[in-house]
Amino acid sequence: MSAVMSNPLFREPLSIAGATREIEFRDAVREAMCEEMRRDKRVYLLGEEVAQYDGAYKVSKGMLAEFGAGRVVDTPISESGFSGMAIGSAMLGLRPIVEFMSWSFALVAADPILNNAPKMLYMSGGQFGCPIVFRGNDGAGGQLGSTHSWSVEGLFSNVPGVKIVIPSTPADAKGLMKTAIRDDDPVFFMESERLLSMKGHVPEAEYLIPFGHAAIRRAGKDCTLCSWGRPVHFCMEAAEILAKEGIDCEVIDLRTIRPLDLPTVIASVRKTSAAVVVDQSWSFASPGSELAAQIHRHCFDDLDNFVHRVHSDDVPTPYAVALEQEYLPNVRKICEAVRSATYRA
Amino acid sequence: MPIELTMPRLSDTMEAGTVVRWNVKEGDAVKSGAVVADIETDKATMEMPCFDDGRIAVILVESGKQVKVGTPIAVVALEGEDLASVKANARHAGAAVAGVSGAVAAPAVVPVAAVQSTVVASVQTETSHGMEEFGATTARMRVSPVARRMAEDAGIDVSKVVGTGPAGRVIKRDVELALAQAQSNRASSTVAPGASATIVTGSAMRVSTNAAPTSFAPLALTLRGRDVALSNMRQTIARRLVESKTTIPHYQVTMKFSMDALLAMRKSFNEKLAASGIKLSVNDFLVRACALAMAEHPYFNASFAGDSIRIHEQVNIGVAISLPQERGGGLVVGVITDADHKSLRQLSSDARTLAEKARTKGLSMQEMSDATFTISNLGMFGVEHFTAIINPPNSAILACGAAIEQPVVRKGVLCVGTEMQVTLSLDHRVIDGAMAAEYLRTLKEFIEEPETLVV
Repeated sequence: MSAVMSNPLFREPLSIAGATREIEFRDAVREAMCEEMRRDKRVYLLGEEVAQYDGAYKVSKGMLAEFGAGRVVDTPISESGFSGMAIGSAMLGLRPIVEFMSWSFALVAADPILNNAPKMLYMSGGQFGCPIVFRGNDGAGGQLGSTHSWSVEGLFSNVPGVKIVIPSTPADAKGLMKTAIRDDDPVFFMESERLLSMKGHVPEAEYLIPFGHAAIRRAGKDCTLCSWGRPVHFCMEAAEILAKEGIDCEVIDLRTIRPLDLPTVIASVRKTSAAVVVDQSWSFASPGSELAAQIHRHCFDDLDNFVHRVHSDDVPTPYAVALEQEYLPNVRKICEAVRSATYRA
Repeated sequence: MPIELTMPRLSDTMEAGTVVRWNVKEGDAVKSGAVVADIETDKATMEMPCFDDGRIAVILVESGKQVKVGTPIAVVALEGEDLASVKANARHAGAAVAGVSGAVAAPAVVPVAAVQSTVVASVQTETSHGMEEFGATTARMRVSPVARRMAEDAGIDVSKVVGTGPAGRVIKRDVELALAQAQSNRASSTVAPGASATIVTGSAMRVSTNAAPTSFAPLALTLRGRDVALSNMRQTIARRLVESKTTIPHYQVTMKFSMDALLAMRKSFNEKLAASGIKLSVNDFLVRACALAMAEHPYFNASFAGDSIRIHEQVNIGVAISLPQERGGGLVVGVITDADHKSLRQLSSDARTLAEKARTKGLSMQEMSDATFTISNLGMFGVEHFTAIINPPNSAILACGAAIEQPVVRKGVLCVGTEMQVTLSLDHRVIDGAMAAEYLRTLKEFIEEPETLVV
């Protein structure tokens, strides 16, 4: 069996056969963008330092050289301005990729990205679509302080019309980015600064991963752990620890939270009777609370306990390294939640 | 605010109680201190007073029903409050309670998670069971949805399953266990139907009672009869005496006492005391003799404590009192404290008071606590001899028969004398046979030379 993931915790390979090679998460995102830009002349990248500096996090390394300044565009530090510009170009037929150095900075572009892009098709009566990808780092990057450590999916997933992709592996990042670029609706693509250097195997052959299809990272019978993005890795670690205690966890990586793959989650919870949702955004009105509500609704007669949730603590992100670690959903919190949900506390 | 009357916790071990009788009905005015109901605990039937002045708006638990401690059983409307609206408001609680009587079989489980949630600093990690945060929920039966569905599918009465989740919630594994046990019981009974080999220990599916840890499957399927539910007291008797008989190495030593002198002295005393309403019983002399004998034999006033023997400073003599059927039957042990320091007259008065109270109102916890030695007397029924089971944590119990006129040999001459047999049951971990014999000899001296009991 060819290892698709370099992370040994990921036992289930993607269902994509064939040769693979190992690359970093940032390479996976770049490969996806480059492949799509070669394929479709309408696709272009813009953002702060994406061109001449090769991207603040080197995601767009070498892209200026390949595609030229017309398609890899450096912008001023003006998220509201360049987001609005990109949306206008999308309405007129281009397919822009907007890089936010951090999704935390996208808050100043809230009006174009939340009030214009997702509603354009609806408000124009179908005259204008908005095929656009907004991408950047999301979540606590590691001592970046309260204002630069947002998990914006908590806020943005509330808006109808957006698609939200939060990959946890290089292979998913590549397959989902290609799907995002080809999608005719606005897609919020959320990377993690802490995962950019993570290595993983991706298939040599071209592949796309459809939205709304969760991956079962680990099969288990006692408790369903649902997560997306970086905390999936914490769930896998927790599952290893819990397995030694005799608690067999099934770990589901949702991969996209809009659309949300409820059938996979429901089938799993019907099997395990216990569910823990792990979401690194804050708990109040979050993707995690939505998923928990859906599980309660669809699995009511299957549950042996209420759905437990692990989130970031309900405070601004602390700067101190130990506090930040304690604030985030971490392995200890996940283990405690699973033990409680399965009455093994 | 109307006052909710809840099932009180009347003893340390009480988990549920039965309303034996309501002394009031809906609409009745009550005064603070008035006894509104008789409550049967696991040990005794006790009176439940009301602590407020008002009127009984609604009775939520009818007499005969058993509910968990803390369950609302009635609501008192205070002065100025509208009886009808208080009653209406109390109804939904009442509806919840109505389904409980079958459910109280499940013992209250201390919500472990309540303790743990204080350990977990994180505010977002939901490791508490989610009930204590907003106050206790109603006392209705708690069953997780999947447990309820599984029980339904399997045709199991979920109210008979012991819940091991928070606050006694019946969870998936409880139903799975019940299913497995029901299946194994079925399997064993089909192997040898009706044969004595089908005796299994453990009830069909952990049906929760506080009763004896073992019960036996019926030996024959053709026997007919009726089942009498165990009262709380009967459950306690079953549990504690099985525990005593199976964990304490019992043995018995019997001795016969000549009662002629004591009976003569008793007759003379009672004649002289008749005017003051005092009537000494044989048992009163026996209590005094047993208590005085402790000075010489401290190990009879002791408890086995695992790695040591605790010798008690106080001599508290417990007296077994049988209860009349109208009080539900059973027996309690009333305790005469500091019996070695009390006169015969005082002992007699104490014993009479205890017996009367036990048979009418029921004894308080204090009146049943801390016996260091117990006497069980069936003499009044004409029983010659019997053995008793030790009342833990005592080390000994004295079983006392009747004083009976019979042929005896005195100094080589056959004559008629009155004799009484007593039998000590002893904990061999504390008391050896020779020690028991010596204690009985001391008792014999007291009984046969009864002047020594008076001075």
